[in-house]
Amino acid sequence: MARTFGEVLLNVDNISLSFGGVQALKDVSFSVREGQVLAIIGPNGAGKSSMLNVINGFYHPQHGTITYQGQTRSRMKPHQAARQGIARTFQNIALFRGMSTLDNIMTGRNTKMHVNLLWQALHVGPARKEELEHREVVERIIDFLEIEHIRKTPVGRLPYGLQKRVELGRALAAEPTLLLLDEPMAGMNVEEKEDMSRFILDVNDEFGTTIVLIEHDMGVVMDISDHVVVLNYGRKLADGSPEEVRSNQDVIGAYLGVADG
Amino acid sequence: MFYREAGQFKTSYSADQAIFPIRQDRNFLVALFIFAYLAVPMIANEYWLSTILLPFLVFGLAALGLNILTGYAGQLSLGTGGFMATGAFAAYKLAVAFPDMNIVFVFLLSGVVTAIVGVLFGIPSLRIKGFYLAVATLAAQFFLVWVYNKFGWFTNYSSSGVISAPPRAVFGDFFVTGSSAGAIEKYLFTLTLVLVLALAAKNIVRSHIGRSWMAIRDMDIAAEIIGIKPLATKLTAFAVSSFYIGIAGALWAFIYTSSVEASAFDISRSFQILFMIIIGGLGSVMGSFLGAAFIVLLPIFLSNAPTLFGVTVAVDIISHVEFMIFGALIIFFLIVEPHGLARLWQVGKEKLRLWPFPY
Amino acid sequence: MEFLNAIFVAPFVEIWEYPVFFVEVVVAGLLSGIMYSLVALGFVLIFKASGVFNFAQGAMVLFAALTLVGLMEHGAPTLIALIGTIVVMIILALAIERVVLRPLVNQEPIILFMATIGLSYFLDGFGQLVWGSDIKVLDLGIPSAPMEYGGILVNQFDLVAALVAGLLVATLAVFFQKTRIGRALRAVADDHQAALSVGIPLKTIWAIVWSVAGLVGLVAGIMWGTKLGVQFSLTFVALKALPVLILGGFTSIPGAIVGGLIIGVGEKVAEVFWGPAFGGAIEDWFAYMLALAFLLFRPQGLFGDKIIERV
Repeated sequence: MARTFGEVLLNVDNISLSFGGVQALKDVSFSVREGQVLAIIGPNGAGKSSMLNVINGFYHPQHGTITYQGQTRSRMKPHQAARQGIARTFQNIALFRGMSTLDNIMTGRNTKMHVNLLWQALHVGPARKEELEHREVVERIIDFLEIEHIRKTPVGRLPYGLQKRVELGRALAAEPTLLLLDEPMAGMNVEEKEDMSRFILDVNDEFGTTIVLIEHDMGVVMDISDHVVVLNYGRKLADGSPEEVRSNQDVIGAYLGVADG
Repeated sequence: MFYREAGQFKTSYSADQAIFPIRQDRNFLVALFIFAYLAVPMIANEYWLSTILLPFLVFGLAALGLNILTGYAGQLSLGTGGFMATGAFAAYKLAVAFPDMNIVFVFLLSGVVTAIVGVLFGIPSLRIKGFYLAVATLAAQFFLVWVYNKFGWFTNYSSSGVISAPPRAVFGDFFVTGSSAGAIEKYLFTLTLVLVLALAAKNIVRSHIGRSWMAIRDMDIAAEIIGIKPLATKLTAFAVSSFYIGIAGALWAFIYTSSVEASAFDISRSFQILFMIIIGGLGSVMGSFLGAAFIVLLPIFLSNAPTLFGVTVAVDIISHVEFMIFGALIIFFLIVEPHGLARLWQVGKEKLRLWPFPY
Repeated sequence: MEFLNAIFVAPFVEIWEYPVFFVEVVVAGLLSGIMYSLVALGFVLIFKASGVFNFAQGAMVLFAALTLVGLMEHGAPTLIALIGTIVVMIILALAIERVVLRPLVNQEPIILFMATIGLSYFLDGFGQLVWGSDIKVLDLGIPSAPMEYGGILVNQFDLVAALVAGLLVATLAVFFQKTRIGRALRAVADDHQAALSVGIPLKTIWAIVWSVAGLVGLVAGIMWGTKLGVQFSLTFVALKALPVLILGGFTSIPGAIVGGLIIGVGEKVAEVFWGPAFGGAIEDWFAYMLALAFLLFRPQGLFGDKIIERV
């Protein structure tokens, strides 16, 4: 099925990243169009998470640039990335364990809440209004992700699958233009994966959010992504539609190992 | 069966967000309010008012301040004493320089001064965390106390080095500081001020500011990645916390001890207040006051307990036992209930909701 | 104007004009720095092996000194008292491991740190309850008269302290590098899980580490106690060890020594030459301010491991 996409939203250009003596990424380039779902795949240690970390400014590459919404830069602070509409989830869940589901997702609205300290202290007028407005937005997200029943539960007590859903909710709360998902289905059973895939596709469908996700499950990748980038040992191995990548000899070799003789 | 929420449905988000959503809680609060304002002044004697309730309120405020910084924002501070001293001396200089300024404004301004000092010492917090930050706050503690001791300007060059707080009235004849102030006036004034400030604190911690503090506490890297500005958030925590601690210091000097001296605010004071929030509950407004009550009452209990059993115990032995009990309790609470008395209180309420059913 | 002069000009002039005096101050600072290092050593040991920042190290120093003096006051000959104290410190380490560390094993470091604050208060009270709280004189026959070495006045006692510290560090270094237990300790410091998986018993290791730290504390307690008398303020000496660790790095034994020396010299020189400009008593806060400066520019200290954050 043909999908139309907008302009290039994100352009990754010759990114190289190393830590001490370890080269995590070498000369990786690809681009993502508005409205696309792009999957980054590759064996463990290929540099996929590092790539996401570079995109949202957590790691600073030694070489190369990122062009986002037309602006090119080689380094950016994470909270600046957030304010420019990039949101993400993490491989090992990075939720705020001391807070409830509701509060965690509300923190996703932080960049949009501005009423100052004095009004907050009084909790009248603008402070109340702002809090209630954002509460409503968050409740809609909670509705969308079907997590009403756990909204007041401290997230530390939730099972893994639900925590991942709350983390997605927190990322969605920021109303991002670009959503980075680091192994959103890791550790889930078939049912949970189906739910999560549905949520991701719904987000892409309804809000037009551009999505870059790291995923190991090939079935999921084939199903939901428009475009696939394959990384291996920090280098880009292939770049194309799911079907193209699936039949690419180099990719098969990287995953399965090349037979001798 | 008395403490049930059945039938109390919230029909709006604002009702859900109220500080005390359960009606029984609100009723209890109203009763407590009436008791505190009407009954206590009538039945409490001078001893209770001056040596138990007043320090409880003042310590509660200081503990609340420290809880904001350490319990909510996760920045461990051992400089509380130094900041209290800042508030006390700021209040003194202001009161002397502006004799016509209402005492409430003097206290609020001294809080602002302390907030500024707090922000200065909080600047390192962007680069350092955990117990490294604790060392930085130790620097604040020792340096500030040294400054107030060393430079006569703070005590208006008094020869004895100890100054008494000048008498001030809130309005008309209602003196709250100085020798003409009665215990009841001091109590009611402090009670009102502390209640207002506690309410403000509760509102702040429930707001996006409070959430950003807790986010920084729980996982500061993730917080930064979702757009929370780490330095601004931490400095706000230092500012608000120091504001409260400064006012507590001013109250301590002006209303409780009626004298302004730096030695009342040494490193032991910092530890004392830290113990209050550990025992009372980190990250809890009510916990700050529970912890303060506990630490104020424990020594009194310990001094009086032996006589109840008809045994006399030497004073220094009691102070050693006090240390042991404090230390043991800190360890106990950290192991058993890191959220302190506040959590125990909540658990108790949960059980009460189900009573008489076991679960 | 005079104040600026007193800070930027006068001290250097004084140093220039009285070089011998300056060297004496430096030497005195070095030697008092060794004393700080002794306390810091205990911290480093525990932190290296268990990741716990033991605020109670100072209380352990005091407790060791009190026990020693207490036993001697009750008539025990020096050697017996020493052995007795060593036994007590080992029992204490076992108790701490069982009661405080084990229940808190998975908690964040800040919780453990606060637990050690509680522990230090407990030991304070307990030690003084058992042995009394008046200042005690500790006399083990260490010579303490000042002597002259090449025109410089030096205190004999401080020299002995330096020797003792040197011996201690050497012993510990051999212990860590050459013995089986030492290797196990290093493994545990590196990675708890991995150490467990090769069969190293975590609890035993911690008990050993805290015992060794207790013994180091005893040595520190003896030195400090002889110098200052055994009293409550010894625990606040521990607070001074914190800047030492910041400078030297929390995980480095040589760092503890170097950090201690720098703090010792820095304090003394600052107090003697710059103190008068401020009216004295700079020693109260100088070490902490120095540590603060280090924290801003080199948080891992001179020798510590670089702190890397991961998401």
